[in-house]
Amino acid sequence: MSEVFSILEYAFFRNALAAALLTSLLAAMVGTYIVSRKIVFISGGITHASFGGIGMAYFFGLNPLLGAAVFAVLSATGIEWISQKGKVREDSAIAILWSLGMALGIIFVFMTPGYTPNLMSFLFGSILSVGKAELYLLLVFFALTLAFFIVFFRPVVYTAFDPEFARIMGIPVAFFRYTMSVIIALSIVISIRTVGIILVLSLFTIPQITAMLFTRDFAKIMPLAALWGALGSLAGLFFSYFFNIPSGAAIIFFLTLQFLILKGFVLARDFFRRDEKVIA
Amino acid sequence: MSKPLAILENVTTGYFSEVVLKNIDLEIFPNDFIGVIGPNGGGKTTMIKVLLGILPLFKGKVTFPQGKPNMGYLPQISQIDKSFPITVRDLVGSGLKTERSWFPHLTAKQKKQVNQMLDEAGLISLASKPIGELSGGQTQKAFLCRALINHPQLLILDEPNTFVDKGFEQELYRWLKELNKEMAILLVSHDIGTISPMVKTIACVNGTLHYHPSNQLTEDLLKVYNCPVDIIAHGPVPHRVLKDHEI
Repeated sequence: MSEVFSILEYAFFRNALAAALLTSLLAAMVGTYIVSRKIVFISGGITHASFGGIGMAYFFGLNPLLGAAVFAVLSATGIEWISQKGKVREDSAIAILWSLGMALGIIFVFMTPGYTPNLMSFLFGSILSVGKAELYLLLVFFALTLAFFIVFFRPVVYTAFDPEFARIMGIPVAFFRYTMSVIIALSIVISIRTVGIILVLSLFTIPQITAMLFTRDFAKIMPLAALWGALGSLAGLFFSYFFNIPSGAAIIFFLTLQFLILKGFVLARDFFRRDEKVIA
Repeated sequence: MSKPLAILENVTTGYFSEVVLKNIDLEIFPNDFIGVIGPNGGGKTTMIKVLLGILPLFKGKVTFPQGKPNMGYLPQISQIDKSFPITVRDLVGSGLKTERSWFPHLTAKQKKQVNQMLDEAGLISLASKPIGELSGGQTQKAFLCRALINHPQLLILDEPNTFVDKGFEQELYRWLKELNKEMAILLVSHDIGTISPMVKTIACVNGTLHYHPSNQLTEDLLKVYNCPVDIIAHGPVPHRVLKDHEI
């Protein structure tokens, strides 16, 4: 146990801990919207398209996170635009964006002279090297997103659920749809640092489906997902440190393990409840 | 007779460049109960969207001589994602106009209004349930509550009798008859036989619109108006009495 406390003395580990917590709270909010609207595949497309931005930023010597953000926002709003126009098959458009982003990323990274040491960290995350500046960026973005959800909770849920009716009620549906696309894109990019492009989506979905084992109320899924997300992330982080394995993978593993255990618990509970009813 | 609530004049509209409705005219008066019938793809739902103001017109105009009326709308349930995590209470609350536009949450007064509405509809015990756990009839009722909570002057219902059993259908029609004393109702259905005994007038929409100022329809009339729908006779057991006729 003393070993657990002793690693808290290291600044890098405290930073990692804060990053894991903030990321899981951010993902809990935004992921609830993603899972409820059933746009997990779209979010996957946005995530992988952002790799094109990372590659391009490397090539031109810019901040890779900035490149990823530009690509992610453009693809997210682009997909929203396509789905509102309804003229193109949305799923095919996403698949093109998904693979094109990855392809562009690989091409530009390959063309960049010299060795690109941080590339793996974008694919699989590198939470242990998160710095103070990134932490502040994460904190500010989290606070803004939280404020947005608190103020506009009702219109956000209504436009997600029944956009046509929301429009009749005078809610500016397009504004909320596009704003949410931008929030999704930026949340994903900002979370890439923690678990990497390949695994980031699970942070936005597994805690939510875990929460949905217990409630089907949007307002209650958010805090529950935050709880399960934070627990799984912290467990994964400690595990990855002591067993020296990549933290992103460990976090996803623990989130999934947690889901399976709770799913088993719910199944068992329902099974015994049914028995009670039969006896009664 | 009082002034109409809404007038559609020479309206032509559709999606992208495809025309769905051509030169239709319709007047809706307070206390009207219009049954809108017609084949699938004939433009029934499109006409509703014109009334609700969410579809741009290619030609013609929509006017509201008494000012824009409060409209209650029940969409086709098949268009709704029933697995969305929203409770019955929140669903009905979504029919209320927000009173505070910069912090759009429900006020305590509005919450009470929602509970009252659910109580009237006999859904109060299901208020905290997600909509995915409701039966077909309960779902229609919950969406009808959402349409009614704003005290509409014009209630627009798009196929409210799908996914429901006969018992609920009868209950629904009794309820609508009661509501019709206070508001105009536009009821869309592909099944004319079921709705014709209760509506006052009938509009047949099939690309164009033909208005019958009564609820009596004969097969000949339907043929003349090019309205390919089934007529179901009403007795103890509803049964189809006429063969399908060609378009």
